[in-house]
Amino acid sequence: MRTLVNVARYHLTQPLIFVGMVWAIMAFSFAVNLAIFRLVPATSPPAHYTGAVSIIYVFFFIMGVFATGRSLPFGLALGVSRRSYYTGTALLAVALAAADAVALTALQAIERATNGWGEELHFFRVPYLLDGPWYLTWLTSFVGLALLFAYGMWFGIVYRRWSIPGNVTFIAAQVTVVLAAALLISWLHGWTGVGRFFTALSAAGLTGLLAALTAALLVGGYATVRRVTV
Amino acid sequence: MTPAISVAGLTRGYRGHLALDRVTFDVERGSITGLLGRNGAGKTTLLRILAGQEFPSAGQVRVFGASPAENDQVLRRMVLIREDQVYPDFKVRHALAAASWCYPGWSSELASSLLADFGLPPDRPVKKLSRGMRSALGIVTGLAARAELTLFDEPYAGLDAVARQTFYDRLLADYAEHPRTILLSTHLIDEAAGLLERVIVMDRGRVVLAAAADDLRGIATTVSGPVLAVDDFTAGHEVWERRQIASQASVVMVGPLGEGDWARARSLRLDLEPLTLQQLVVHAAAQPAETTNAGSFAAAAMERTSA
Repeated sequence: MRTLVNVARYHLTQPLIFVGMVWAIMAFSFAVNLAIFRLVPATSPPAHYTGAVSIIYVFFFIMGVFATGRSLPFGLALGVSRRSYYTGTALLAVALAAADAVALTALQAIERATNGWGEELHFFRVPYLLDGPWYLTWLTSFVGLALLFAYGMWFGIVYRRWSIPGNVTFIAAQVTVVLAAALLISWLHGWTGVGRFFTALSAAGLTGLLAALTAALLVGGYATVRRVTV
Repeated sequence: MTPAISVAGLTRGYRGHLALDRVTFDVERGSITGLLGRNGAGKTTLLRILAGQEFPSAGQVRVFGASPAENDQVLRRMVLIREDQVYPDFKVRHALAAASWCYPGWSSELASSLLADFGLPPDRPVKKLSRGMRSALGIVTGLAARAELTLFDEPYAGLDAVARQTFYDRLLADYAEHPRTILLSTHLIDEAAGLLERVIVMDRGRVVLAAAADDLRGIATTVSGPVLAVDDFTAGHEVWERRQIASQASVVMVGPLGEGDWARARSLRLDLEPLTLQQLVVHAAAQPAETTNAGSFAAAAMERTSA
């Protein structure tokens, strides 16, 4: 456990990447959105939607890439096994996702209470996805952020081991898997069923699916990191 | 007591070439061993495998009696300082802080005094460091970690002569107070020779020589002078190399010299010069692969040991 905590602390020697920058960018994006919607005329019913909260998810992906692609070699040089390095990094991902999801949930509550920051701004509220009770907002944010971090970690590991050609192959493999699934559904005439499944799917159900996907990504990253050499 | 390092039949192949070819050797605890050899001899690959950063294709690796691969218990007892270490985007003090958390024997006092010795600014980002400064950071980390097994791979690339001397001095001083097992790969053989208790010489992925440094001193001698006298003096000895210019010859003769030999050489007006460690290594590494001289070296070293 001590080793795992050391790995997490090792990452946090770069607080800019893992804490500071993401909220600086979020704050900037929020300010820009607020300024823009102050300028545009009110709609009826009054509501300004923006998908800018997705920035934090993109940034969690980048964090994941850094945590493995950039920091892995020195981590292993410190006498830490790949297993411990990966587990410690994943624990940090979970902790950061949980904490930042709390912040997102709090900000959403403020947004609701202040009538969209006085401008009918839907910055922290996203229709369907992040529009339910606070605990669902937290859960969906948490799972989403952890998912992107785990995905980024896997990319970083592939980069560490096989460099750019590896990442290109990795993306191609994913596209192939998705394509194969699409073809399979077409052959089985399953699109109606798929459509029905997703229209019936609640935000909570989707969160469950994303959680399963996160677990799969973590397993994939773990299997890959065990083969990494530095 | 189990040896610090025990390697048997270790082989690592990459596409089309063997970086390590059935490498076998032991390193006892509490010694400073030099890992010597030319570029591409397999030194770095060997050290990376010992530190669990690379995997062997075949063979067995034991560090403190256990496989180091993915073994936290073993890994935290060792440190590998590499010339080409990739660091994250942080400052010198962050690298040292991270090392201090991971190594139970870490000495902050030693780290700060080494920082001062090398003039390394703790608040400078690692990526802004010069090549020499980067090496200094590695050295500070490697020494202050006081890991039971310390592996240095060309730790002083880009460091000036004064800083290198500082490294040797501080290494010896701290080694005397806190004995540990040190494996140092280097190209500056004569410079480090005084430090080394044992040497392992590698060439083209194979160990061509493993012996105590003391046993190698005087294992071979350069005899130079008039051709006839040189031939007379070296008759019956194995000869590694012979050069002749006009009536002067220079011959590398194998075998220890006795008391009488020096007097005889004086009377024959011959110059005797024992081969330095560096010359020995050059000689060991210069042999064609198929006629490896390891046997002759080993025999000579053994003869010396038993004498």
